[in-house]
Amino acid sequence: MTISAQQRGIARCNDCGKLSHLQILDNKIAAACPRCGSALSFRKPQSLQRSWAYTLAALALLIPANMLPILTVISFGQGDPDTIMSGVVKLWVSDLQAIAAIVFIASIAVPVLKLIILVILMLVVQLQLPLSRQQCTVLYRFIHFIGRWSMLDLFMISILVTLVHLGNIATVESGPAATAFAAVVVITLFAANSFDPRLIWDLDND
Amino acid sequence: MVEPSHIPQDLTACPDCDMLIQTLPSEKHLEGHCPRCNAVLWYSAKHTDTISFAAAISGLILFYPAITLPILKLSMVGQRGSNSLIGGIYRMWLENEHSLAALIMLCSLIAPFMHLLLTAIVCFSVRINHFPAHFPLWIKYIRWMQSWSMLEVYAMGIIVAYVKMMHDGEISVSGGTYCLSALLVCVILCSQYFHEELVWQHWEKHKTA
Repeated sequence: MTISAQQRGIARCNDCGKLSHLQILDNKIAAACPRCGSALSFRKPQSLQRSWAYTLAALALLIPANMLPILTVISFGQGDPDTIMSGVVKLWVSDLQAIAAIVFIASIAVPVLKLIILVILMLVVQLQLPLSRQQCTVLYRFIHFIGRWSMLDLFMISILVTLVHLGNIATVESGPAATAFAAVVVITLFAANSFDPRLIWDLDND
Repeated sequence: MVEPSHIPQDLTACPDCDMLIQTLPSEKHLEGHCPRCNAVLWYSAKHTDTISFAAAISGLILFYPAITLPILKLSMVGQRGSNSLIGGIYRMWLENEHSLAALIMLCSLIAPFMHLLLTAIVCFSVRINHFPAHFPLWIKYIRWMQSWSMLEVYAMGIIVAYVKMMHDGEISVSGGTYCLSALLVCVILCSQYFHEELVWQHWEKHKTA
């Protein structure tokens, strides 16, 4: 009943959305979109391999990002290093539950959820798991939408480091976890971008 | 190997599930969703290039004050501190967090600026029907810049920083925040009303002429 564009030999340009006929000669595709000149392919090239690589790299980087201190508040000479989680706990106990929840969602829940969802989606494609295709697509859109919000903590650090720069009274310094966390955010963005949701629907077409 | 002429104009492939869909001309009024995965396939466009062009120009005017004026001001035990968007990036750079400074600069400064600038140029080119060299590349860069422009997350970062320092000293919102909020509205309007498909169709129709 439903026919995918690929089955008709039609490829949708990843950059401008134009449809073109595409023939595969010797498994080598070397065609350019007639409208915008981008390389044409039916699916994003090496989608699964790239997504797996990025996902595994991000999973490894999650460890230093959560274990090492991300922010150190030095007031009157006394340093007080905070990891991501201890920062959230401190906000919670000082009666700032709403902000604690926001920081927890942006810096811990979102990266972890994103990686779990990516692994689920890739397993669905590779093992042909019988999960609802609609729900998988919703999950894919969710990780696309939510990914950028992980940058929140990094922006907040950049604001605090400059704002609280008061000599002996109080200063804020960023810690080694900040770079690791930034890498996690960027790599998960790459991972979500390289995954092709059409692969999920291809399972039905075979 | 590419024969674009054989594909009728009213045929669409869903970007998320690759389903081939016949779109009747009468259907093209409001917004169309994929019947299988519910992805947005098309939406209406009325005077859109005017609004996104106006928003892009207003955003560009607001850009300089938004990044240089102080965003928050803090006073603790007689000492005063303030921060601006560009100051935060500079401070991170001084503290040897070069990669972090570069990432923050990309997401809060370069990407929003280039997004507004390129949208303004593309809308203007469509208006005067004169296309600069490498026009398709510019449209592709708009999408790339848009995906890295994270000013709305930065605004949330300001709120979190404000609440976090509320108990430690006197903190107040300063001029930069107002400019940044206005800039954010411009960026959102600019991306909401920019109709990529229409620009592509316009370019395709006029590129040879």
